[in-house]
Amino acid sequence: MSVLNFDSKQCEWIRRNLDAYLGNELLVETTSDVLRHLESCQACSRELETRTRVRDALRRAAASQVPPEELRQSIQHRLRERQRGFLGGSRQLAWAVALAGIVVVVLGGIATQHWIGTLRGRRLVASVLALGVSDHLQCAIKGHNYPNIANPPEVLRKKLGPQYAGLLAVVQQNLPGFEVLEAHICSIPGSPRKYIHFITRGRGTILSVILTRSEGEQLPREVAHRSETPGRVNLYEAHLEGMNVAGFESKGYFGFVVSDLSQDTTMQIANALAPPLMTALEAGPGSTARLDLGAVPRACPPPART
Amino acid sequence: MFFDPKVRVEDFEAATMPHFPHLYRTARLLAQDSAEAEDVVQEVYLQAWKSFHRFEAGTNCRAWLFKILFHRLHHFRRHWAKASKVEAFENPEDQDSIIAETPVPQEIRDEDMLKALGRVPIEFREVVLLADVQDFSYKEIAETMKVPLGTVMSRLSRGRKLLRQELAGIASSYGITTEKGQPLTGEPA
Repeated sequence: MSVLNFDSKQCEWIRRNLDAYLGNELLVETTSDVLRHLESCQACSRELETRTRVRDALRRAAASQVPPEELRQSIQHRLRERQRGFLGGSRQLAWAVALAGIVVVVLGGIATQHWIGTLRGRRLVASVLALGVSDHLQCAIKGHNYPNIANPPEVLRKKLGPQYAGLLAVVQQNLPGFEVLEAHICSIPGSPRKYIHFITRGRGTILSVILTRSEGEQLPREVAHRSETPGRVNLYEAHLEGMNVAGFESKGYFGFVVSDLSQDTTMQIANALAPPLMTALEAGPGSTARLDLGAVPRACPPPART
Repeated sequence: MFFDPKVRVEDFEAATMPHFPHLYRTARLLAQDSAEAEDVVQEVYLQAWKSFHRFEAGTNCRAWLFKILFHRLHHFRRHWAKASKVEAFENPEDQDSIIAETPVPQEIRDEDMLKALGRVPIEFREVVLLADVQDFSYKEIAETMKVPLGTVMSRLSRGRKLLRQELAGIASSYGITTEKGQPLTGEPA
């Protein structure tokens, strides 16, 4: 173990508060004091970077513990068994089930048609939302293409280029509690599809905001959730490869919010983010002019672990 | 309770299954092996299902599930080998007398982190996982663990330092040193 002899009492005080600062547990005034000190003290800044690095490595290692799918199925099976056991003894339920059976027979034809349509719609939605999940996993999670300390906004705007730089502010302003660590234009090797990729950190996890051209595909509205925000956007959801994804479509674009946060949280985030992003995408002389993803200068950068 | 929507298994699953991966990860990193972690998580869900009618919709479902998880983990732990004595680490003089800033390797592999974490006594590991992985506030951790806020803060501080020491020890065993060529567990930086 190393014991540092600080030249400054201030450094000692800062380091005692550094963990609370990282955990967002300090009062606003104390946070300001810490920030002021960090701006002028390289040693304390390095220590903050180290603590952040250890915390991020711990999160990554924890995320590698993937729950077995059989366990989920076993839990769900046992829950259903217990529900059946609880309800099985009820005579009221027997009458209710009989009544429901009659209703099902009468409405069966209509319901079946509707169900088939809905099932097809959900499959289509899942296939589109899988694009966003794939990019999140490849670029952000497996590729780890983001720094531990967020790149400055001017660097991110440069990476996005003049055509897309304006989207950074839209994401930052509508994603409270998250910091944008990285933003770039990205592609998956072997695929012609390009993405605008914002990698953000917040609520203990990494969340991606991804935009890509829809290439004429359209999502079925009958399986959409209507956004509660004034923009009234159609939102779509899926759980794929351990990730929850919320999608939306704009004029010529699909947008995705992907994370391992709960489905409700992911949808809430997309609910707030989708309308302003759509406005930005559809603004100006036309979305294709603003965001021509067919002429992307470079692919996803190589992993840049620090 | 008949036809009470709060006890429908679909409602229960919609509220609780999104937290399943987080519960499993935490249990896996605190239990002795994967079989035990799976048993604990399964029991958490069955216990939560039994008391779901008492859960208030709109309140913090994740915190509620983690409380059950830790209750079950502590119950299981009574059957485990003796846990480390916490008192030895909770001496305030120990925390106040040093500021430990053990250097850590630049590149931390998942397997090394998991090994280091496994060597941190469980009382500290619990708090570090809740704070640094699950992003619980100090207050939420205190409620989940049923310990005072001060205990959470001291265990967290000590747990993070222990984790760094273990990481440095693992790196040193590979012959990894600081940029200045010092062993990671060696002289003061």
